[in-house]
Amino acid sequence: MGKAVVITSGKGGVGKTTTTANLGTALALMNKKVCLVDLDIGLRNLDVVLGLDNRIIYDIVDVVEGRAKLPQALIKDKRFNDKLFLLPAAQNADKTSVEPEQVAEIVDELKSEFDYVFLDCPAGIEQGFMNAVTAADEAIVVSTPEISAVRDADRVVGLLEQQDLDKPPMLVINRIRKNMMNAGNMMDVDEITRHLSIELLGIVFDEDQVIATSNKGEPIVLYEKNPAAQGYRDIARRVEGETVPLMSLKEDKQPGFFQRIGAWFKKDK
Amino acid sequence: MQAVVLKGYKNGYEILIEPTASFSEIKAELSTLMEKLHNDETSDRTKKYSFNLNTGMILYTAEQKQELENIFADYPRFSIHKIQSAVLEKKEAQEIVDSTTVHVNGDIIRNGQDKLIHGDLLFLGTVHQGGILRATGSIYILGTVNGIVCAGHENNTRAIIAGNLQGAQQLRIADLVDIVNEDQKIAQADQTSALFVNDLHALAVTQIEQLKTIRPKLFIKAGGF
Repeated sequence: MGKAVVITSGKGGVGKTTTTANLGTALALMNKKVCLVDLDIGLRNLDVVLGLDNRIIYDIVDVVEGRAKLPQALIKDKRFNDKLFLLPAAQNADKTSVEPEQVAEIVDELKSEFDYVFLDCPAGIEQGFMNAVTAADEAIVVSTPEISAVRDADRVVGLLEQQDLDKPPMLVINRIRKNMMNAGNMMDVDEITRHLSIELLGIVFDEDQVIATSNKGEPIVLYEKNPAAQGYRDIARRVEGETVPLMSLKEDKQPGFFQRIGAWFKKDK
Repeated sequence: MQAVVLKGYKNGYEILIEPTASFSEIKAELSTLMEKLHNDETSDRTKKYSFNLNTGMILYTAEQKQELENIFADYPRFSIHKIQSAVLEKKEAQEIVDSTTVHVNGDIIRNGQDKLIHGDLLFLGTVHQGGILRATGSIYILGTVNGIVCAGHENNTRAIIAGNLQGAQQLRIADLVDIVNEDQKIAQADQTSALFVNDLHALAVTQIEQLKTIRPKLFIKAGGF
């Protein structure tokens, strides 16, 4: 029996879908059987980020309304040895076309098959949010180091605490810019974590490549050397129960030996 | 067994109602008693009498009380001073306990949440920006407040807010609001202060040492109700 984890944020555009795709992929790479469920009905895009949009035949609304069986609607990602599946959202329906109980029923069925079921929550705290949260055992709240995102995350954590989840929500801080944070122009990781008073699951740096790869339908975790990929991999390992130290916020460009000598010569001039 | 007993005290008359008697019995006996008193030749015909009705271990409903009053209505010289009982409804008792207790709370009140406490509150938790902490009584803050704190919820102007108040967004007592950043009433230094409603019905800030003279009643909490 696996567990269902909802990935939510309140505010839109902070990286819920990117986090869902990458965390799911990272766990699939660790040989876990993962199913990603896109609950942003009407505005689906988890399939696009994973590069699976051309393979959708049935979606979650088809399953709810009995036009398809659940296994028919699941899309297998061939890159990961039958480890990663997607249940896509519908496009020509809206969030009210499924009820929280119906989602819970589907998720329960998926949990018996998979190690992890990730629920990609739509922005907002209306029915779409309730659909996703009711079915979940655990929650991951995604925020960026911006006051608007943190406030919304705070609101969402408050709502999640009223749900009966197995454990308190965990925090992922996305889109961190080292230089801004070090210069004090961005809320820092400790400040956000302390403010929200929930457990920090991980941090992800803002990297141009995240957008570039997701445009190609490839999750960033496939590019191992990328710092954002490293962030998502660390999160996946922590989800699995490993203890992984937090990535350093120090700027990585330390002047090398020759650069320092160069600077020395420059000084002479 | 008499259902109704008349007793005279130094400071008035009391009618004891026997709790085991039926209500119709009580009404009948009360009517007879009134009739008898009315026709009493020895009493002063011009003097008015007021009675305390003591119902003992029984609580009467509003309709029952009305029925008793209707009996007295026939006799203009007699009236009910008050109907009292030795017992309280649990709900009412709970309200009294709540309103006289200083509740200790350590919650995190997040953006969008609204917490109401009946009675006074010693707050050890955190109010985040956008969260609202309300109490019907006073609020004493030892925790952190970055949101809205509202004492004397529903118009209790005797309530105060004490503690480190600078971080708050708004402070409210009864119907009055102080927007902390703009109104600049709260002490700048990081020290505790107290907010209260002054005689002009405006919010005022004071040092907590002054509270004893401004709200002496806050300090006499001892004793039952």
